[in-house]
Amino acid sequence: MGETDAERTRRAIEMRERRKRNLAIALVLAGLAVLFFFMTIVRLGQNVAGQ
Amino acid sequence: MTETTYAAVEAPPRIATVGDFVALLKPRVMSLVVFTGLAGMAVAPGTIHPLVALTALLAIAVGAGASGALNMAYDADIDAKMARTAARPIPQGRIAAGDAAAFGVALSVASVTVMALLVGFAPAGLLAFTILFYAIVYTMWLKRRTVQNIVIGGLAGALPPAIGWAAVTGGLAVEPLVLVAIIFLWTPPHFWALALYRADDYARAGIPMLPVVAGKRETRRQILLYTALVVPAGLVPFALGFAGWFYFAVAAGFGAWLLVGAVAVLRERDTVREPAARRLFGVSIFYLFALFAALIVERIAAFTAV
Repeated sequence: MGETDAERTRRAIEMRERRKRNLAIALVLAGLAVLFFFMTIVRLGQNVAGQ
Repeated sequence: MTETTYAAVEAPPRIATVGDFVALLKPRVMSLVVFTGLAGMAVAPGTIHPLVALTALLAIAVGAGASGALNMAYDADIDAKMARTAARPIPQGRIAAGDAAAFGVALSVASVTVMALLVGFAPAGLLAFTILFYAIVYTMWLKRRTVQNIVIGGLAGALPPAIGWAAVTGGLAVEPLVLVAIIFLWTPPHFWALALYRADDYARAGIPMLPVVAGKRETRRQILLYTALVVPAGLVPFALGFAGWFYFAVAAGFGAWLLVGAVAVLRERDTVREPAARRLFGVSIFYLFALFAALIVERIAAFTAV
């Protein structure tokens, strides 16, 4: 049995939303990595300054 | 064929969108929580690296959002019965309650971990307490059982200034507890104003809010009583010396406005539309924003004057 237009459209919408979610997760993870990188530098700097 | 396709395009997608997950975080509540957390940081003595401050605010925001997601996951049944909350992603069937709970737990753990590792253990402990208090004590225990639900549960929403203070100082003091007390006393009149004009909603959902249990007349009295407590409490930062004249003027001016609003609610005759309660709900938000904005403005002014 072939896919109807309605099913095809729904599947396309779902794929688009899934891509957006994946992109959002990727951005959050990248943001966390950047945050940890710069926070490590700040913490190291504070510890060096404290010695 | 065209009609079928059109209907399919117009129908909400079965898969949850990014916006649905953002809605789980209750962004408007989050903004107030971040703002009061920032005020707690602003009044704290000492300095904090801007990136550490930003990280602390991010952790507070995510922690608050996580609490919201856990609350929506647990309250999906009553959210579906209330007009105000029926459009949320879980009652609408776009996100499963279990997924929202997993999302909330993951964000809770992440926010507390980030706070502990990158900012400090004291603010992380307070953040963990706040999330657990909101999700377990308020949502799971108090909300459906007692008329004092939002009075006691309000502690969770009141704690962010203490978290902000602890992020800077590593501990607690009288000053942040005064800010916590202001929000704690502000919460009942704020939510009871909402409950007055949403009383039918709460009754339908079986939530024992004050207008449902004790009636609107008693609710109006209690609103005025708590307003009469929060307005002088709002002046304590000035009395204790950690806020200046600008703050005093703002707290007194907006406090008077809040009191006038509470008196109007007491005298309200339109018990169907409750216009005075609707106004008071808005004014109460202005009041809290104004007080904490004044604290932040004074600190910025003092910092730039140095």
